[in-house]
Order: sequence, then structure tokens, then C-alpha cells
Amino acid sequence: MGFSSTVYNAIFKRTSTMALAVIVSAFAFERTFDLVTDSIFEKVNEGKLWKHIKDKYETEE
Amino acid sequence: MLKPANVPGYFKAVSQVVSNQLNTGKQVAIIPKKKVVFVPWSSSSPAALRKALPNGNVTISTGPAVSSQIRWAHTDITVPDFTAYRKDSTKNPRVKSSETEEGRKNYTYLMAGALSVGAAYGAKAVVTQFVSSMSASADVLALAKIEIKLADIPEGKSVTFKWRGKPLFIRHRSAAEIQAEQSVAVSSLRDPQHDNDRVQNPSFLVVIGVCTHLGCVPIANSGDFGGYYCPCHGSHYDASGRIRKGPAPLNLEVPPYSFPEEGLLIVG
Repeated sequence: MGFSSTVYNAIFKRTSTMALAVIVSAFAFERTFDLVTDSIFEKVNEGKLWKHIKDKYETEE
Repeated sequence: MLKPANVPGYFKAVSQVVSNQLNTGKQVAIIPKKKVVFVPWSSSSPAALRKALPNGNVTISTGPAVSSQIRWAHTDITVPDFTAYRKDSTKNPRVKSSETEEGRKNYTYLMAGALSVGAAYGAKAVVTQFVSSMSASADVLALAKIEIKLADIPEGKSVTFKWRGKPLFIRHRSAAEIQAEQSVAVSSLRDPQHDNDRVQNPSFLVVIGVCTHLGCVPIANSGDFGGYYCPCHGSHYDASGRIRKGPAPLNLEVPPYSFPEEGLLIVG
């Protein structure tokens, strides 16, 4: 009970702290979600993206 | 319609004979017996309870001949059991609700907070998409800058380049020209601007070659003031690109530029 009451009093009780928590976790969520979805996309399109076939076309200057 | 075949059935109901003065012995008030449909129900769920309860208008017609009964919920229907719908922390009647309140609120606010996080992420993505669609695309940015080697421009000559679809004049001014432009009284100008405000390096004048009157391209090294002359309506600009005579209202525009290293000019 101690943990949930601490969380409730620290974060959810006040709108200001709740909004702050939402914003902070939105940043964290954005980083992880984008990373995960990008890596899934690249795994699905393995060998089709420019960065996978770049070395075939680039010439040394 | 009273048919002889139906009569025995009706006579099973209780009826009352009302006597009147013209008694023929045949006037009989017949009240049909009401059919009672029994709906089996259980109190285990609200749906079952709803089936069991009377719906529609409940009417009762009283009288000696009518035998009817209305069952009311307060008499014989037990309170339904909502245990399946209740949170576990509220099931124990011996626990104070204030003791589990924070845990229950945490769950609710966590759900609301997770939704807010998702909404903030989506809103940020949408706004970023729209804002970035307003900025210049890569092909425009590639044309946005021009690099000029100043050693290619001899002194006293004005060279024209194309920059962002417009002509760009770069003039390598002689010391005499610089001296002449800097000594012009600013108050005598239509668009008062000192020469020092128009050039970063006095040797090089960088202006956009579009006449501020109606947008013609002026001719370099001509006109009454030794700078530029617009052939369309006769506007004379001096060697600092300032309007001196003719219909144009403003000086030639100076684009943003810089000298990142000696002998190199980047416009844009």
C-alpha cells in the first residue's frame, strides 16, 4: 500500500505533477517507440533501403 | 363477437350480471380471463433481472371480477449480485474503502496518463509533419547558396550570377568608387542608406539585380551615377546600388552573404 499511496500523492493527486509526468514520459515514449518501430521497419525491408545498398553505388572520390 | 361455440369458454370466467329494468335474461357482461405468462428469471445478472421485471405501462383494473396481482421489486426480488463487475479491492466488506482508494485511483489515472502520453506523441508527430512541410525541400536548399571566387572578378567590373532564380550582381569596386559612394550625403537620398550599411567588404558590392520599380534587370556600368541603369523606365542606381534618379522607390536589395575565407563569397 505504501508504494501506491506514494505514487498517488507524488504524481496523480495534482494536475500539475500529472501533466509534468505525462510530458516527461512522452519524451521517453517517443524515443523508445520510434526506435522500436524504425528497427521493425528496417528489419522488414532488409536489403531494400538505400543504406543497405549504398556500398554498391558509392564511388570513392 | 359472441359465437355459441365460444360461450362455454367464456363462462368459465367470473362474470357479473347487472340487472336492469329491461332484463331479458340474455345480457351478460363477459370479462375474458387474462393469460398469465410465467417468465423464469434469476437474479444473477442485470439482463435476467430486466426480463423478469414488468416493462411498459403497468395498469391494474380493480373490481370484484378482476383477480390480478402485481409484484413489486421491494417485496420479493433480491438485490442482484454485481460481484463480477466489482473491483477486487472493494469486494471485502470488512475493509475500509479509504484504505484501497489510492490503489484504485492510481489505476484510473495511469490509464488516463497513458492515453495522454499517446495523444502527446501523436500531436507532436502531426505538428512536426506540418511544420516541416513548410520548410524548403532539399532541391530548393541545394540551389539556395552560391559560392563565388572573388579572384575571378576584376576590379571595376560587375558580374552577374543566377541565385534563387534571380540575377545577382557582384561588383568589384575601385578605390575611387568606394570613396565616391561613402562621401554621398545620406540625407540627399530617396532611400537613405549609407554605403557602409550596404556592404560588408567595401571592395565588393553584392546586390540582387532586380529593379525595385517594376522588376526589370538593370544594366551594369551605365546610367548617370556610374552604377546600374534600368532600361525599362530609366532608374539610375549608383555604385552602391542606391536609387538616385528615376521612378524606382527603393535601393537594390542586398541579399544575406558572408566571406567565410579570403577570396571566397557565399551568398545565401
